[in-house]
Amino acid sequence: MKQKRMVAMILAGGRGTRLYDLTKKVAKPAVHFGGKYRIIDFPLSNCANSNVSTVGVLVQYESVLLNSYIARDYVWGLDVPNGGVFCLPPREKDESGLGLYRGTADAITQNLDFLDLQNAEYVLILSGDHIYKMNYDKMLDAHIKNGADATIAVLEVPMSEASRFGIMNCDEDDNIVEFEEKPKEPKSNLASMGIYIFTYKTLRKYLKDDEKRNDSAHDFGKDIIPAYLNDGLKLLAYRFKGYWKDVGTVNSLWEANMDLIKNSGELNLSDPDWKIYTGDNNAVPQQIGPNAKINVAYITQGCLVDGEVTRSVLFTGATVGEGAKVCDSVIMNNAKISKGASLTRCLVMDDVVVPEGLKLGSKNSKDILLVTKALVNKKVGNK
Amino acid sequence: MEKIMGIVNLESASVHVEGIDNYRPVSAASFLGRYRVLDFMISNMTNSKINDIQLYIKNRPRSTIEHVNGTNYNINSKKGRIRILHGEKEYSSEVYNTDVANFKDNMQFIEGAPEPYVVIAPSHFVYVQDFNELVDYHIKTESDITIMYQSVSNAKEAFIMCDTLEIGDDKRVLGFDKNRGKYKNRDVSLECYCMSRSLFIDLVNKASETSSLFWFSDIISDCVKELKVTAYQHRGYAACINSLKAYYDANLELRDHAILKNLISDEWPIHTKTNDTCPTLYKEGADVVDSLVGNGCVIEGTVINSVIGRNVVIKKGAYIKDSVIMPSSLINKNAKIENTVVDRYAIVTHIKELKGTKDKPLYVKRRDRI
Repeated sequence: MKQKRMVAMILAGGRGTRLYDLTKKVAKPAVHFGGKYRIIDFPLSNCANSNVSTVGVLVQYESVLLNSYIARDYVWGLDVPNGGVFCLPPREKDESGLGLYRGTADAITQNLDFLDLQNAEYVLILSGDHIYKMNYDKMLDAHIKNGADATIAVLEVPMSEASRFGIMNCDEDDNIVEFEEKPKEPKSNLASMGIYIFTYKTLRKYLKDDEKRNDSAHDFGKDIIPAYLNDGLKLLAYRFKGYWKDVGTVNSLWEANMDLIKNSGELNLSDPDWKIYTGDNNAVPQQIGPNAKINVAYITQGCLVDGEVTRSVLFTGATVGEGAKVCDSVIMNNAKISKGASLTRCLVMDDVVVPEGLKLGSKNSKDILLVTKALVNKKVGNK
Repeated sequence: MEKIMGIVNLESASVHVEGIDNYRPVSAASFLGRYRVLDFMISNMTNSKINDIQLYIKNRPRSTIEHVNGTNYNINSKKGRIRILHGEKEYSSEVYNTDVANFKDNMQFIEGAPEPYVVIAPSHFVYVQDFNELVDYHIKTESDITIMYQSVSNAKEAFIMCDTLEIGDDKRVLGFDKNRGKYKNRDVSLECYCMSRSLFIDLVNKASETSSLFWFSDIISDCVKELKVTAYQHRGYAACINSLKAYYDANLELRDHAILKNLISDEWPIHTKTNDTCPTLYKEGADVVDSLVGNGCVIEGTVINSVIGRNVVIKKGAYIKDSVIMPSSLINKNAKIENTVVDRYAIVTHIKELKGTKDKPLYVKRRDRI
């Protein structure tokens, strides 16, 4: 079998508990974003655009929808003879029985046979729930050129926020000398983005060792990277500049959507040379009615707008009825805002129907209101 | 075994869509901001579970070839196929390049097919139809040929130069005429025919023996006396895109949500090729009403009663009314456009006003700079 340069492994098993109902039945990477996308479209499209054609996706939590979505590898143009998107759930094994993935590193360890089968030379570890555009091929070039054993993508964050991240302390050549997880007093502002390139041979040995250790959390940040550092291996920090967001909470998911309508245009999805691909649907073009008033909005096909939309993002199939007002809000797929309803600073989940005249959210709220079917039922019941 | 072979026919000889067809046949032109005209006929076939489809093309085939791929239309990529076919001969004159000549050149693919029935429908009509219903009707009435038609009340303005049918008892077709726009109410042929594959082969041969200028519809009208030719009424929206005005009218008519939702639904989707375009950004100053808008646009100006294609940029102060803007055009600051069709990649800048009329819309060329 022909040797492949780099195989990507996307960690997509996390639950994303701080997204509450959004991830009750759907794994976080499959959550909708930006009108027509799902979050996992970003790492998958980045892979496609970086000529990484073999992608394993490590799934675990509520994966039915995610599995069926990623199975359509032609969506990202990855249906090539030497590649594909492979769904890798935990499985029953002869020697150890059925076991869940115990950590990020364990998820890879349990699929070393997959990487062997793919003749991986380098392994690219990605997270399935980050929004950014990045050329992994360039990162691999840096990894090879510097003779690194592992390369970690880092982002400069404001020093005041550094204690929220895994921080890399580096020498003048960007070699990592120390890694600190959420340090109280950070020494640097280079935050790990959870994107790693490993030379596979070395990684395989460390993962095998880690597997047997009872004191390990089987986590890249907590165990594997420190073990590499302990043994004096070469770890390179790869500086990334540009938009990157981990959408862990309702507020941050809302914010990332709002970034799409900001004038700064930091997250530009219209670049023809770096498209974000997504599963297409047969939605008709957006229909804008006679009473529509649209002032700063991001709207996609399948939407039907006859009300007032201000600084908001509408996802596929969302409808805004006559006289309805949607302000500073995100309306997800096929949600229906009925006549005369009014929403401010809300994130409305898929398929929710906001009944006529109902008012939700407020201009001065600290948090974004997550509008679910249950919430609507409760509000209507209270009337 | 599969029952029906689908043949998406060339546009008939009378089709002339001023301007647009200098660049591609109108069937490959952008439609409703996201589709191509031929998406409707191919989707009708694949939604009818027709797996074996022939698509006939002639001049300027690039856009059709780039656009059409079985997977996009929900056909199994191994078992089914859309075969793009064209006349293999060099024709001494374009008048010889008829659908009959094209069928004749590709007869091996028709003779060798396993399906007992064929449905032939040209690519420049827009409607939705389950062809199984047509074939069932054809079998039930024991017809030799079944022709689909539409009873229209706008024959003075639309379906000009289309075949009209004279229909007798038991829906028997007695004769053909042309719609010259004289009368309001006509039974217009949608040029969609159902027959057995063997009769189709016979008729193609007969047509080419009779006259090398014959189109397939000519031979059908020739044998209306000898064969049992039955009319099948299509209900719902139908348009024939055979002129610039027809193209313009169909685009604007389908802005009506009530019509559009009956034409395209989850049960009968119209498939097309995705361009992976991001959503449309409405910026401050945008004022859009009564319009259909494709993805990927950036809108800062005014849009009224119009169809805006994918990736169109409309700058501040621009004013677009009753117009069709095809994908990737740029309408610059303060340009005013009314009753106009703007072709792809056009840039409209240095003008005060572009204004056609509802009866005679203006056309702006592909890649034109104004």
